[in-house]
Amino acid sequence: MGAGELSGRDVWTRSVKGQIRRVALGSALGSVHQLGEALVPVLIGVVIDQAVAGQNAGYLALWLGVLAVMYVTLSWSFRLGAKAGERSAEEAAHTLRLAIVGRVLDARGGAEEGRLPGELANVATEDAKRVGAVNMALMAGVWAFAGVAVSAVALLLTSVTLGLIVLLGTPVLLWLGHLLSKPLERRSEAEQDKAAHASGVAADLVAGLRVLKGLGAQGAAVERYRRTSRISLAATLRSARAESWQTGLVLALTGGFIALIALVGGRLALNGSMTLGQLVSAVGLALFLLGPLETFAWVNAELAQGRASAARVAEVLATGPAVVDGDDPVAEPVRGELRLRGVRLGGLDGVDLDLPAGQLTGIAVTDPAGAEALLRCLGRETDPESGSVELDGVPLTRLDPAGLRAAVLVAAHDAALFEGSLAANVTPEDASQDGAAGLLTERAMVAARADEVADSLPHGTATGVGEGGRSLSGGQRQRVLLARALRAEPPVLVVHDPTTAVDTVTEGRIAEGLREFRQGRTTIVVTNSPALLAVTDHVILLDAGRVGAEGTHADLVRTDATYRTAVLA
Amino acid sequence: MTTGAEGMEAELTEAGLVDAELTEPGLVEPGLVDAELTDTHEADSDRTLLPTATPARTRAAVRELLRPQRGLAAAGFGLMVLATAVGLLTQPLLGHIVDIVTEHRSPDALTFPVVALAGVALVQGVTTALGMSLVSRLGETALARLRELFVERALSLPLDRVEKAGSGDLNSRVTRDVSRVADAVRGALPELARSALSIVLTLGALALLDWRFLIAALIAVPVQAHTARWYVRNAVPLYAKERIATGTQQQQLLDTIGGARTVRAYRLQKGHTLRVTERSRSAVELTMSGVQLMLRFYSRLHIAEYMGLSAVLVTGYLLVRDGSASVGTATAAALYFASLFGPVNTALVLLDDAQSATAGLARLVGVVDEPAPVVADRADDRTTAAGPPSVTLTGVSHAYVPGRPVLHDVDLEIRPKERVALVGTTGAGKTTLAKLVAGLHRPQSGRIDVGGAEPDEAGHLVGLVTQEVHVFAGPLAEDLRLARPDAHTEELREALDTVGALGWVEALPEGLDTVVGDGGHRLTADRAQQLALARLLLADPPVVVLDEATAEAGSSGARQLDEAAEQALRGRTALVVAHRLSQAAAADRVIVLSGGRVVENGTHDELLTAQGQYAALWHAWSDSRSAETAPEAH
Repeated sequence: MGAGELSGRDVWTRSVKGQIRRVALGSALGSVHQLGEALVPVLIGVVIDQAVAGQNAGYLALWLGVLAVMYVTLSWSFRLGAKAGERSAEEAAHTLRLAIVGRVLDARGGAEEGRLPGELANVATEDAKRVGAVNMALMAGVWAFAGVAVSAVALLLTSVTLGLIVLLGTPVLLWLGHLLSKPLERRSEAEQDKAAHASGVAADLVAGLRVLKGLGAQGAAVERYRRTSRISLAATLRSARAESWQTGLVLALTGGFIALIALVGGRLALNGSMTLGQLVSAVGLALFLLGPLETFAWVNAELAQGRASAARVAEVLATGPAVVDGDDPVAEPVRGELRLRGVRLGGLDGVDLDLPAGQLTGIAVTDPAGAEALLRCLGRETDPESGSVELDGVPLTRLDPAGLRAAVLVAAHDAALFEGSLAANVTPEDASQDGAAGLLTERAMVAARADEVADSLPHGTATGVGEGGRSLSGGQRQRVLLARALRAEPPVLVVHDPTTAVDTVTEGRIAEGLREFRQGRTTIVVTNSPALLAVTDHVILLDAGRVGAEGTHADLVRTDATYRTAVLA
Repeated sequence: MTTGAEGMEAELTEAGLVDAELTEPGLVEPGLVDAELTDTHEADSDRTLLPTATPARTRAAVRELLRPQRGLAAAGFGLMVLATAVGLLTQPLLGHIVDIVTEHRSPDALTFPVVALAGVALVQGVTTALGMSLVSRLGETALARLRELFVERALSLPLDRVEKAGSGDLNSRVTRDVSRVADAVRGALPELARSALSIVLTLGALALLDWRFLIAALIAVPVQAHTARWYVRNAVPLYAKERIATGTQQQQLLDTIGGARTVRAYRLQKGHTLRVTERSRSAVELTMSGVQLMLRFYSRLHIAEYMGLSAVLVTGYLLVRDGSASVGTATAAALYFASLFGPVNTALVLLDDAQSATAGLARLVGVVDEPAPVVADRADDRTTAAGPPSVTLTGVSHAYVPGRPVLHDVDLEIRPKERVALVGTTGAGKTTLAKLVAGLHRPQSGRIDVGGAEPDEAGHLVGLVTQEVHVFAGPLAEDLRLARPDAHTEELREALDTVGALGWVEALPEGLDTVVGDGGHRLTADRAQQLALARLLLADPPVVVLDEATAEAGSSGARQLDEAAEQALRGRTALVVAHRLSQAAAADRVIVLSGGRVVENGTHDELLTAQGQYAALWHAWSDSRSAETAPEAH
C-alpha cells in the first residue's frame, strides 16, 4: 500500500486473484448450466422433428424425459455456481473495504486530505462493491463464452458453414460491443462523480441544518442544492442516452446476425444438407445466442463500471502519506523532553522551543493558526516545512509515527468521540473496565470533571454518546475528551483548549485536576485560558509565529503587555 | 439464461417493504441500530422517526411527479411497445422459414423472411434506443424533482422533529434512499417495463397462433405465482435485517473515517478495524443468505419453465396430429415460449428491486409530505421599518423529555436594542432558552413574543449563532451567500472585514473562491466562527441570539471573536449566552439561570453588589486573571 504506482487495474486484478478458486468453481458450474440452456433449443428441435413432424408418441415421451433430466442438471449447476460467484464478489468487496479503512487509518495519514468522509465511506462501500462485482461479471462472461462455444460446436456438427459463421461472427460482434461501451465508460465516470457530488452537497446541508436554521438561510440552501441537482441531472441524462443507444445498437447487430444464420440455414435445409430438425435447432441456437451475446454487452458495461470504481479505490489506496516514514522505535523509558528548532509551518515562523521533561508547560498564542500548526507538528500529522522537532534528542521524522503517538499524545480541540458508551470512549482499547484499570479511569474522569457528566446522564457511564458524541453538549464533550486524554497516560501529553465550553468554576477545578493527574509527567497545555495557564509551571507566549515572552503566568501577566492582551480578554 | 446472471447481479442487497406491517419504523432504521446491536443506551432513547408515506400516497406522489411530462411518458412507452411488438415478428418469420423448408419451395422464397428479419432487427434497435432514452429522461427528471423537493422539505422540518428522529434518519434518507430510488429509475424500472411488455405481447402472439398454445403456456403461471409469493414472504424480513446490517456498516465507516485523526492519535486502529470487519462481515453473511434464497427461487422457476415447455410441445404434437396447426406454427409456439424465460425471470427478480425502491420512495415522500411550516404573520417587514423589536417571554417552560423539564416558568423582557447576557453553570438551560428565542423550538407552555409575533425557524427576525461550527463545503463566497444569496463580492468583503476575517481570507490560496469545509481547505475553529458571524451580518436580522458563539473556537482566538461579535451585535436586540464573563460585564443586563429558573436579573454592578451566584462566578473568573488586573474598562 502507498506505492504511488498502484493503478485501478492492479486493484481489480488483485481482487479477482484473491478469489480465484471461487471464480473458477463458479465459472465451471455456470458453464455446465449454459451447456444445459444451449441444449434446450436443440432438444426442442429434436422433439419437433421426431415427435411433432414425425407424429411419434413414444419419442415424445422419451425426449420430454431427457429434457427433464437436463433441467435438473442445469438448475443445480446454476444454483451452486451462482452461489460461488456471489460469494467471491462479496468477499472481494469485503477485503477491499478493509484495505481502504486500513489505508485511511494508517499511522502516516494523508488519505483523507481533500476528501469528504462521506465520499471515502462511499468508496469503501459502493466502489468496493462494484470492484467485487467484477468477479461476477467475469464469471458471467465465461458462462456466456461457454454458451457461445457449445452452440458453435452444435452448429458445426450440424453444418460447418453455419458453425463457421457463428465462430467468426461472434468476435466481430464482441469487438463492436466493446467499441461501443468505451464512451459509456467515460460518461459513467463523469456521471458518478457528479452524482456523488450532489449527494455530498445534500448531506453537507443536512449536517449544517442548525446553522442554516439559525440564519433562516434554508431558502438559499435549497436554491443551491437545486443547481447542483440540475447539473447532476444533465450529466445523468447524457450518460443514459449513451447507454440506450448502446443497447439499441447491440440489439440491431444481434438481430442482423440471426437473419444471416436463418438465410444460410434455410438454404442448406432446402438443398438437403440439413434436416428440418437441424434447421429448427440451428434457429433455436441462434436465438439462444442472443442471451450470451447480450450478457457480453452487460459484462462489458459492468467491467467499465468496475474499472471506474477500481480507479477510485486505487486513488485512495495510493495516496501518499502525509508524513515521512521512520522506523526507529521510541527509546524506553521516555523521558519526555521535547525540543523544536527553527520550525516553520503555517502560523509558525522559525520557532525554537525547549519543553522540559516532567513539567507542566503552558503555551499561549496571539495567532490561533500558530497553535494549530504546532499541534500538527507534535502529532505528526504534517511535518514542518523546515526545522526539526525532537523527542529526547531524536528527531520525530526518524521515529515510527504510531510508536511516537504512544509516547506523545496530542489531544486535539476538535477530536472525535465514537459511537458507544461514555466508558468505552474514555477507556483505552486494551484496558479492562474493572480493577486497577477501572480505578484509573475513574480518577481520570474525576480530574476532568467528566464524572459530573456521567452523573447527569440517564445511564451514567454506560450511556451512549451517539454518533460523534453528538448527544452530549459542547461542555460535556470537552470534559469527556479530556478524561480520555488523561486516561491514556502518555509520557507526553499535549492538550489544546480543553475547557473553552466549560463554565468558569468547573474550569478552575479541571485545571487543578489536570495538574494533579499529570504530576511528574511532561504535559503541554496550548491555551489562552488564564485558569489553565495559572496552574502551569512555566508559560511560553508564541507571538506572531515566534517565541515571545517566557515565565510564570503571574510574572507574564505583570510584566508583558502582549501576553496580557492575549490572555486576559 | 442471461437474465440469470443479470438478475443475480441486480442488487440482491436491498429489498422492499411495501407491506404496511413491515414499514414499522423500528425494523429498518439505522438510528435504532446502535440500541439493538450494542448494549449502550442513547441519552435520548425515545426516538420518533420521520414519517413514511403509505403505498397509496406514494403512488399518488409519483403520478404528481410524472404529470408535467405526460407527453414524454406517452412517447417513451409508445416507442417501447413498438420495439417489443416488432421484436415479436422474429419468431413467426423463423416459423415461416421452417414452412418454406417443409414445403420444399425455391430458395428465393427465403429472401422475404430474411430481409424482414434484418428490418425487424434495425427497427427494434432504433426504437429501443429512442424509447429507453425517453423513458430514462422521464424517470431521471422526476427523480431530480423529487430529491429537490425532498431537500427543500428536509431543510424546513422543525428542528426538534429532526433531533427526535436522530440525525442518522434524515441523513440516510438523503443519501441511501435517494440513491436506491435512483438505481431503480436507472436500471430496474426500464427493464421491468420491457419485460412486462414482452410477456404480455408474447402471450398475445401465442394466442394468435392458436388459443390452445396460450392455455398450455399458462400452466406454468400457478407455479410462478406461488413461487413469487413464497419468495416475497421470506425475502422481506431477511432483507430488512440485511438493511439494518448495511446501515450499521455505513454508520461505522462514517464514524471511523470521520474520526481518523483521533483514531491515529489514540492508536485505536485495532478496535476500529475489528468493528468495521465485524459489521462488514455480518452484512456480507446476510447478503449471502439473500443470495441463497434467490437461488432457491430460481430452482422453482426452472420447474415452472419445464412444465410450460412440455405442455406447449405436447400441444404442438396434438394440434399437428389433428391438422389444426402446421409444423412451422408449432415451432414458432415453442420458440415463443422459450423466449419468455428471460423476461419472466427478469420481471420476477426485479419485483424485488422495485419493492426496495418503493420503500425508499415511501421514506422520501413521507418527508416531502410533511406539512410546510406555517409562516406566521410576516412580522419581519413591520419590525424592520420600526427598528429592532423587543423580546418578551411570559411563563415559558420547556422539556425535551416529558417529566424532565429544562426551563420552569421563565419571564423575561429584552427591550429594543438592549443587550442581555445569559449566565449560569453548564446544564442550567441557557442553550434551550436561546433556541426558544430563536424559534428553533416551540415552548411547551408560555409565550414568546418578538415584535408582536412568535419567532419561527423560517423567519429572518431572529438570527442565531451557536457553538456548533459548520463550514459549508464549497467556495467560501458561496458559504457566505447562503445568508444573503444576492450579495455582491464587495458586501461579502465588507462583512468579512467587519468581523476581522478579511485578512486571512485574502491570504487563502484563491481568496474568496477557495474551497472550504469538508474536503476543502481546513479552517480553524475560530475562523469558522468568524465566518458564522459574517453570515449573521449578511443575514442582518433585527434580533440576535449568540449561544457561546465565541466559546468553542478556543481561547486563543476568543478576543478577536469577541470583537467580531461586538460588531455583529451593534444596533440589534441581543441575547448573549456567555460563560466568559467579560461578555456579561459588557452587556446592558445580566440574567442568571439556575436549574431552569431565572434566579438573578440586573446590571453587572447590581448583581455584584447583591453578592449572589453571579458575584461568586465573577470572583472565580476574575481570580484566575490575577489580582492586579481587575476588570479593566469593559
